[in-house]
Amino acid sequence: MTWTCDQIEAQLSDYLEGLLQAPERATFEAHVESCAECAPLLASVRSVMSELQSMGEVEAPPRLVYSILDKTLGPRETVTGWQAFRKFLAGLGTAKFAYGTASVFATLFLVLTASGISLRKAKLADLQPVNVYRNADRRLHIAKANAVKYVSDLRVVYEIQSRLRQDQNDLQVAPEENAPKPTPEKQPGQNDDHTRVQPKQQNRANGLARQVELLAAEGPIVLERSFR
Amino acid sequence: MRRHSRRIFNVCYRFVGNRTEAEDISQEVFLRVYRTLGSYRSAHGGFATWMTSVTRNLLIDHYRRTKRDRQTDSLDDAMPVVENKESAGRRPDQQALLNELSGQVQAALTRLSPELREAVILRDLQQLEYAEIQQVLEVPEGTVKSRINRGRIELAKILQQMGVRPS
Repeated sequence: MTWTCDQIEAQLSDYLEGLLQAPERATFEAHVESCAECAPLLASVRSVMSELQSMGEVEAPPRLVYSILDKTLGPRETVTGWQAFRKFLAGLGTAKFAYGTASVFATLFLVLTASGISLRKAKLADLQPVNVYRNADRRLHIAKANAVKYVSDLRVVYEIQSRLRQDQNDLQVAPEENAPKPTPEKQPGQNDDHTRVQPKQQNRANGLARQVELLAAEGPIVLERSFR
Repeated sequence: MRRHSRRIFNVCYRFVGNRTEAEDISQEVFLRVYRTLGSYRSAHGGFATWMTSVTRNLLIDHYRRTKRDRQTDSLDDAMPVVENKESAGRRPDQQALLNELSGQVQAALTRLSPELREAVILRDLQQLEYAEIQQVLEVPEGTVKSRINRGRIELAKILQQMGVRPS
């Protein structure tokens, strides 16, 4: 099978893109090898394809995107002079601005307090980084010491309270277990040996007095330990 | 947005061969897409293909509007005239561009008929598949292949007439 030059020209791109079957490819190549017109045409079309595919993209103008946005969404509003000033003033009255201002002042207050800068006796030297660091460090240590002292005081108070509560519980349980069974013949204040029995109130008072003495003796030790 | 605008600008620039006109047409493309977004159906192909179709329609409209100023339709009779005219009126920057091979290929491209030019641009510059080109141009695949083939052959002939021998 042989092809004419017109057929070769029609199949040129298919051949160059590798879309021809093996027999067609062989026929195509056989013709091109023997044809003085088709061989240079094939070479030039191959070169053109190669050149087209190696052509890089052209850089779009930077303003193109903004022009497109202006055309599709409309031009951006640009206000000048009094209109801009009035717009600025209107912005000051918004809740967003109020929240922003309040948070800025709160942050400033916290920073100044933490760094130990007094607004009443403000000095330029206070703003030096070394002084700011020293003041902040001092404030931190004082706050830590106060916190430790507070916790220690609470511990002492709770210890006293718990001991008193424990003592009261002991006193309430003890009379029920150890109290002598009352007999109708016996007179109050007398036992079997006819000796005088001390009143219950007196026993409770004695117990409390002992506990207070103990706490008084231990108190300084507890306080001293907690402060350490 | 930036990616699409760059691609559309490239298609337009390769077709019209002029940055200012390409920029104007690119803006028109996005405006048309923005207004007719509701008519887009995914069944018609991908969004990029649809955008390319819109671009192609606007390029053809632009070509028809400016047809009087151009003589690129018939390669055989118009080619020498067009070349002489453009050589006489070339600006220095255009001349510098033409000194490079890609500039010369671009110049040759704008002398192709619009049907062949768009087919070659979509296939060899935008690297679209035949099926995608078929959707954009709304012609059968055989016609697409034929246009691409003829476009390449005519481009090679134009370059030969311009004295350019691509490597």
